[in-house]
Amino acid sequence: MKKRKQRDIIHRWEGNPAITIQSLPFKASDIWNAGAVRVGDTYILIVTIESLSGHKDLYCARSENGYHFTVDAEPFMIHAEDSAFSKYEKISIMDARITYLDDTYYISYIGESEYGFRIGLAKTDDFKKATRLNFISEVDTKGGALFPEKINGRYARLERPADGGRIWISYSDDLVCWGGSEAIMSPRKGFWDASRIGDAVPPMRISDGRWLMIYYGIKETSAGPLFRIGAALLDAKDPSKVVARTNIPILSPREMYERVGDITNLVFSCGAVLDGDNLLLYYGAAKSCLCVGITTLDDIVNECIESEGVY
Amino acid sequence: MTRFPFGRDILHRFEGNPIITLEDIPFRCNTVFNGTPFKKDDTYYLLIRIEGQQGYSYFALAESKDGLRFSVHPEPVMQPAKSGPFAKYEALGIEDPRLTELDGTYYVMYTAYSTYGARIALAKTEDFHSYERIALVSEPGNKDGMLFPEKINGEYVRFDRPIGKDCGSIWISYSKNLYDWGRSEVVMQPRAGYWDSYRIGASVPPIKTNHGWLEIYHGVRMNPSGPIYKIGTVLLDLEEPHRVVARMEEPCLSPRENYERIGDVGNVVFACGAIVEDNGEIKVYYGSADTHICVATCSFDTLIAKTLEGTT
Repeated sequence: MKKRKQRDIIHRWEGNPAITIQSLPFKASDIWNAGAVRVGDTYILIVTIESLSGHKDLYCARSENGYHFTVDAEPFMIHAEDSAFSKYEKISIMDARITYLDDTYYISYIGESEYGFRIGLAKTDDFKKATRLNFISEVDTKGGALFPEKINGRYARLERPADGGRIWISYSDDLVCWGGSEAIMSPRKGFWDASRIGDAVPPMRISDGRWLMIYYGIKETSAGPLFRIGAALLDAKDPSKVVARTNIPILSPREMYERVGDITNLVFSCGAVLDGDNLLLYYGAAKSCLCVGITTLDDIVNECIESEGVY
Repeated sequence: MTRFPFGRDILHRFEGNPIITLEDIPFRCNTVFNGTPFKKDDTYYLLIRIEGQQGYSYFALAESKDGLRFSVHPEPVMQPAKSGPFAKYEALGIEDPRLTELDGTYYVMYTAYSTYGARIALAKTEDFHSYERIALVSEPGNKDGMLFPEKINGEYVRFDRPIGKDCGSIWISYSKNLYDWGRSEVVMQPRAGYWDSYRIGASVPPIKTNHGWLEIYHGVRMNPSGPIYKIGTVLLDLEEPHRVVARMEEPCLSPRENYERIGDVGNVVFACGAIVEDNGEIKVYYGSADTHICVATCSFDTLIAKTLEGTT
């Protein structure tokens, strides 16, 4: 008898994949990942979708139950649409992460141009129209995720500079100029996250005050990279301190829709929603579809704490 | 056969080059290169990068009355931090200082190097002998940082050299407080087919002229035998310094002499500073082959005029 549900800490929704190319109201090449938020009773995703021409743009998808989503026919943000920002997003915009902060929904995303990748910051009130604010990173830094509250009076973000493949934290007084950067977590030799890591879901404060950081880890294999998802806990007062980290991934590519696609063997998340004690993780699989993973906060936190302290 | 020894480059080498070599250092080390100069009260100070025999770099101070013949102080003036918040990011050394006087303070931007990557760090000094660290000011994978000598539109400005999509380019960033930086803009990129086709970075802290900010930068071309580093110039808009006014097509100095071609890293000329003299001459201080320090000069007006002949 197969024990399907016990394989990973994150359980797959039996209706996966939740969004496929076939379920889009337009032609497209790939579905990458999504940032997620619940506004009232509506679950909203900002999905990165690659067009047939190869450029990536951001589309909203909406759901009443967190599982069955309808993707908007019109894009929420498209690359190079605003002249002041187009220089650094001529090729694509992608990897939207949503943070509710100061009564505003902030969207950190990646702009791609011939100059490289940078973190862009936008905001929205209604998930119909986005206002771009600034590019907030140096070039070839990805994974920008704002903390949902200020840390010691300053805005804070997680990020993944290309050099070293580590997770860093930076701070700002005004969301424009950033400093105080510190490396907080590195790849681990021999582990599933040995080659590169990056922050995935914007950090969430859990009931004991610490921060849950769901991240992705990459192991290079002879057949290419293997993308998996893990979790760590950051100190309540100083989130540059990692206090626990799962020794095992909490989600690994196993199903056909995670192993087969334009980029194989990939699960990658930019967003999750807390539903009581349950956590709904929205993750892209094989760059070709979007899926829902389900677990409890306790299951993730316990796995962090029980791990042997290699971080 | 007629030979034209001085016609080869716009910058002329001082006949006493190299001006500082291993033999001039009063303590044991591996190499000396990449010095940043400052002239104050008729004294030339040169903050120089020393690579120790252990393999990591630190800074020493040289002094001169004529800008050509230097004596090196018996002890290094700045070592990688061994404790405190900088230690983690300086574990593999401190490199390539650039001095800028700004609002009456002498600032040094330098590269902090560690297993976490290269980062730009900022310190200040009053006497060139002791240095007070201010902050690490960039993300990792960034170097060749240097401050502009004045604020622009009320903000501090710096060049930096991040790497985007494997391409090292010159960028500019802004700050209100010297700690937090943002609004980064690309200034210019390598030029395909040119001497600076592989990688470029700012070298000399920018010099204000009537025609814009003069930036003396380094450009790299990748050859089968390795990279070749040359020195070029560009003029940038005074108000919006990410806009190129004119970029010289040719390098103004290329490795040719034995002391530039032979050393730990051959075929390198790499400037970290310059002095514009009252008599209209510019002295460009450059490291050669990562093994010596040299100086080259020309008329400042000539350098500007040659740069203005360039393209955008």
